[in-house]
Amino acid sequence: MPSSSSSFLNPHISSMNPPVRLMASCTTPCSLRTRFALRFLKTLVKIKRSSPPPPSSSSNSSPEKTRRRTQRIKRAAYSSMARAVGRRRAWSQALMLKLKFSVKRTNQHPSLSPTKMGGPQKAPRKAGGRILVIKRKNSLVKGSPWRGCSGVDELRRLVPGGESMGLGVLLEETAHFVRCLETQVSVMRSIADCFPC
Amino acid sequence: MSAFCNTGVARYIRMSGRRSSRQSSSSGSPSISDEQIIELVSKLSRMLPEIRNSRQSSKVSASKVLQETCNYIRNLHREVDGLSDRLSQLLATIDAESPEAAIIRSLIE
Repeated sequence: MPSSSSSFLNPHISSMNPPVRLMASCTTPCSLRTRFALRFLKTLVKIKRSSPPPPSSSSNSSPEKTRRRTQRIKRAAYSSMARAVGRRRAWSQALMLKLKFSVKRTNQHPSLSPTKMGGPQKAPRKAGGRILVIKRKNSLVKGSPWRGCSGVDELRRLVPGGESMGLGVLLEETAHFVRCLETQVSVMRSIADCFPC
Repeated sequence: MSAFCNTGVARYIRMSGRRSSRQSSSSGSPSISDEQIIELVSKLSRMLPEIRNSRQSSKVSASKVLQETCNYIRNLHREVDGLSDRLSQLLATIDAESPEAAIIRSLIE
């Protein structure tokens, strides 16, 4: 960590301009926020380097390229957060596995977009894939003791790895997952605010 | 600890207790007590902006807390999508030699 960053240990963080605020929030080396921010920034730099700007500044990249870059950034955000949390949590382990699996899928079929985050967990696209999804939906409705309360089932779909957790574990993992998502959004916003639009 | 609508929570907890014991018999994990579940749901409700800011924060049912949690998670995912879009456009247009880029580089190295 650069030593000049210690001068940014200022309690009045909200009155700072965005680049300074970003640096100030990264002064605690071991905090989750810092670990995530550093990983994410490194990946952003990598993405920037691997997609050089077009020679004419007036025209932006094609929409396809922009969309692909957006997907890479989104994926980098979730991946950086999951790695920053590490194996301490069930949700981060499940998310890292899911991302690893979706990379293999994308490499095999470049036309497929990366797995959507937060949506219902879909079975892999093989012959029996669709049937698996339908079966799972039915079992959720029939077997759930929280009949009439779809909250828990919905939550299981939203939290990575939630399908196989007991209720108590699910609630704890949810609390941690939500806090990490808030940190992720906050850091991404700080980075975006750094640059004049 | 905030007091929930007790009849509603009690019903959910009885059902969840059955489910936990069913799961514990198959997966071997210890079942959780009712008080722990109430505490966890209460902790979740304190994290949600909808419930924290409303006047009814002490009377929210467990079902509402779960629903609001799901909504909140979906909103956060949407925000990540929007910010990824914004960052993607920024990456395309920023100059690598700008002062902001220099700050970012100094943070990473």
